[in-house]
Amino acid sequence: MKSTSRYSLARPSRRHWLGYLLLAPAVLLIALIIVYPLLVSLDLSFQNVGIPRLGQTRRPFTTVNYERLFASAEFWNACWVTFKLVVIVTFLCSLLGLATALLVNNKFKGRSLARLFVALPWAIPEVIAVVIFAWIFDSSFGLMNWLLVSLGLSDQMINWFSDPQAAFAVVCAVMIWKGYPFVSIMALAGLQSIPEDFYHAARVDGAGPWQRLVHITLPCLMPVLGVTMVLVMLWVFRDFSIIYVLTGGGPLKATQTLSIMTYEHAFGFFKMGYASAVGIVTLVVCIIASRLLIGRRAESIY
Amino acid sequence: MARILIDNVRKSYGAVTVLHGFSLDIRDGEFVVLVGPSGCGKSTMLKILAGLEDASSGRVLIGDSDVTDLAPGDRDIAMVFQNYALYPHLTVRKNMGFGLKMRGMKAAEIDRRVVEAARILGVEHLLDRRPRALSGGQRQRVALGRAIVREPQAFLMDEPLSNLDAKLRVHMRAEIAALHQRLGVTTVYVTHDQTEAMTMADRIVIMRDGTIQQIADPDTMFRRPANLFVAGFIGSPGMNFLRAAVTADESGARVRLYGQDIALPPAAAAAAQRSDGAVILGLRPEHLRLGGEGPITFSVLPELVESLGSEKYVYFAIPPEHQLGGEAPSEEERRGDMMIARLVDAGDIAAAEKLKLSFDPRNLHVFDINTRNAVREES
Amino acid sequence: MKARRIDRVLLYGTVVLTCAMLLFPVYWLFITAISPPDTLRSFPPRLWPEIAQWQTFATVTGQRPIGLWLWNSTIAALGAVAISMAVSVFAGYSLSRFRVRGGNSLGLFILTAKMLPATLLVIPLFGIFRSVDMIGSLWSIILAHSTLIVPFTTWMLKGYFDTIPRELEQAAMVDGCSPLGALFRVILPVATPGLAATALYGFVLSWSDYAYARTFLTNAQTNWTANLGITTMKGEYITDWNEISAASILVALPIIVIYLFLERYLVGGLTAGAEK
Repeated sequence: MKSTSRYSLARPSRRHWLGYLLLAPAVLLIALIIVYPLLVSLDLSFQNVGIPRLGQTRRPFTTVNYERLFASAEFWNACWVTFKLVVIVTFLCSLLGLATALLVNNKFKGRSLARLFVALPWAIPEVIAVVIFAWIFDSSFGLMNWLLVSLGLSDQMINWFSDPQAAFAVVCAVMIWKGYPFVSIMALAGLQSIPEDFYHAARVDGAGPWQRLVHITLPCLMPVLGVTMVLVMLWVFRDFSIIYVLTGGGPLKATQTLSIMTYEHAFGFFKMGYASAVGIVTLVVCIIASRLLIGRRAESIY
Repeated sequence: MARILIDNVRKSYGAVTVLHGFSLDIRDGEFVVLVGPSGCGKSTMLKILAGLEDASSGRVLIGDSDVTDLAPGDRDIAMVFQNYALYPHLTVRKNMGFGLKMRGMKAAEIDRRVVEAARILGVEHLLDRRPRALSGGQRQRVALGRAIVREPQAFLMDEPLSNLDAKLRVHMRAEIAALHQRLGVTTVYVTHDQTEAMTMADRIVIMRDGTIQQIADPDTMFRRPANLFVAGFIGSPGMNFLRAAVTADESGARVRLYGQDIALPPAAAAAAQRSDGAVILGLRPEHLRLGGEGPITFSVLPELVESLGSEKYVYFAIPPEHQLGGEAPSEEERRGDMMIARLVDAGDIAAAEKLKLSFDPRNLHVFDINTRNAVREES
Repeated sequence: MKARRIDRVLLYGTVVLTCAMLLFPVYWLFITAISPPDTLRSFPPRLWPEIAQWQTFATVTGQRPIGLWLWNSTIAALGAVAISMAVSVFAGYSLSRFRVRGGNSLGLFILTAKMLPATLLVIPLFGIFRSVDMIGSLWSIILAHSTLIVPFTTWMLKGYFDTIPRELEQAAMVDGCSPLGALFRVILPVATPGLAATALYGFVLSWSDYAYARTFLTNAQTNWTANLGITTMKGEYITDWNEISAASILVALPIIVIYLFLERYLVGGLTAGAEK
């Protein structure tokens, strides 16, 4: 028999140490690049500071950032824009994602190919998606304007990026196009885990396709869909690339979400204390919203 | 010397105790079966033996060494798992040789042992296949082979047959028994199936809720169960139980069944006194015979007759005064207040036709209602 | 209820139509790339240009260092994935197999980390990296991307390890491996598909970042990642759409290729944790 040291992790009494050991690198890394910066961020939000220099003596603690933030119209506008965006995009993404999943779940030749294609927008980098849609919605030569005019839906070329409502609509369009594949993929996985027997039993009971959808498919899918919708919501909340590259937050702040506002104040105006405050508030809202929506079942995402 | 000594092993997870003071002395070459319902702690005990779990207290000795805190690989044991746990990315040959390779054995010797074990188990033609290309029975054989090549001091088997279908299970049971005959290695075998326990064991350890109920060889456990639980667990279909009031006087203790008086050992009177004047009687289905030879004979109206060809199970109602209520060993044992008679070569029996049955009162088991223990003459 | 022919035709029709509509933007990108500029500035737009101009791909590569951009994105992604996987394989395994005190809190924290807006973390990271002179270096991106990747990969790997039966490492330990030995010799080889899928997902996550790249690398032209490079081609008022489209295709191609060939694994990784 091999003789091993008293502290060998192979011994039954010591084995649970291994659990801690294996977690250590991750905990260390997360502490370094996520926890520490988060704390710095929190710290910054309570300082009236432009560009912080680490190592410099700290500015005095002040809540002026938060006061200013809750009093500013810009902040509330950003909240409203974010809210609108989250609701519209999440709803339409889920609808489109679910519809495509239901469609592709049927058995037909070329089904795997269809699955592949339907979810392809997921693989397109956000910046590229912006390029595509910026061109399609180009006010002078874009495809969309041509379509609208020649189909008689509009009597003139719409200036998509100078009109606040129009710009918001384009942002929505891009986000929906980028976001629905995720819902589609998750919904499809959920659909495929519904036991065939449920449908067999329903057919024997005389249920038609619509009834099967409403009484079996949707209820079984609810948990997965619920989690997915929350994840989409969080993505819309957080997203920066799409809006920043497409509209920069304008025109007239019509597409300025909280995320954009944070960035603007940090790297546009170089008021990082204030920007951090906005960021912290955004994070808190995220956490509260997702907690409310999934509550104790947060572990199911984790 | 491959004797295994388990000395007062306890296992708790926080506030929940899964094993209460388990002690067992296993002789070299013995085939011991740990049996019991799910959650009784048998698998936990096996894992502690293997070193895959640590005991909260107590000692384990294999051979003459204290292995309580030794790594599984240092205990010189081999294990067979319920779902075989074959390494999917290795061929059968490499699967079987893995343990030997870990111990630094020379390739030639590994190969010799692997081929030899494969021959014994009839899997030489599968040596270069991957586990996913094998059937359930073949995988089980490979898992056994992986254990054999190690030539360990003991085999530990964790419900190895549970994933096989019924016919294959019967076949593999015989194979494992034959293997044990041939190799003579101490084996600790865990199962929830009392048939496996009865047919394979030198000794059975029956467990419930973390405690040992009885340790005995199969015949003894069948004929003299230590308590109500063991009596109901061993044997299929399980023992019939009746509640009977005991009258005790100078001539001894008796109960009245079907209008006839039956004498009981004196200890039964004492037991009855402690529990409202009643005891629980047990009678195995096979001890009921068709016809009126007696000594105790009675008539019943069968409610259901199940025919297995060679034998018939006849279900009939227990008279209300003898029904157990909440005192049955377990929910399953209540059987809807039915008794079963197991009749061999009984000819045609129709339900709803009155039937004459008899039994010998010497085959009655007596149990104390309070303690659930068997009442014996020498009490 | 047998499927009638008309049902099948309807189904196929719907599928084809849906795919066509949803993928049209990608097709349009391609058409724009091969159209001569003057075709783009005239109506009506055509489904296929009269004269396809394939040289745009070559010219744009000559004008802009697209190869360099792609190289930088790859380096950053490889670096970020390497660090993240190294850390989250062990963490995911630990969370799967061991009942660690605080394991639940760690899990909850990882969940929260997924909710972090990049625009929040970018501020302190900017300050931190500035004070160690890392702004402009690809290392800043590699570390920043790890903040994006680690929460996801840990979660995915934990879900994946959950599907591997514990008996496998138990058998390995009985065979003489230490717990770490069992992990490396048995579990990791068996988990290779899941590991690959998770790594690929991390790669895609890193590739798609823009916020960190823009903040840390804007002034270091030689270190521009692909996404950053593309956005510089979008002018305030004038954009050469055919050129930017061609460049976009070149930049998007690697991810599309990865996706097409490995969608099965990618999807598996995403959903492994989601539906239990």
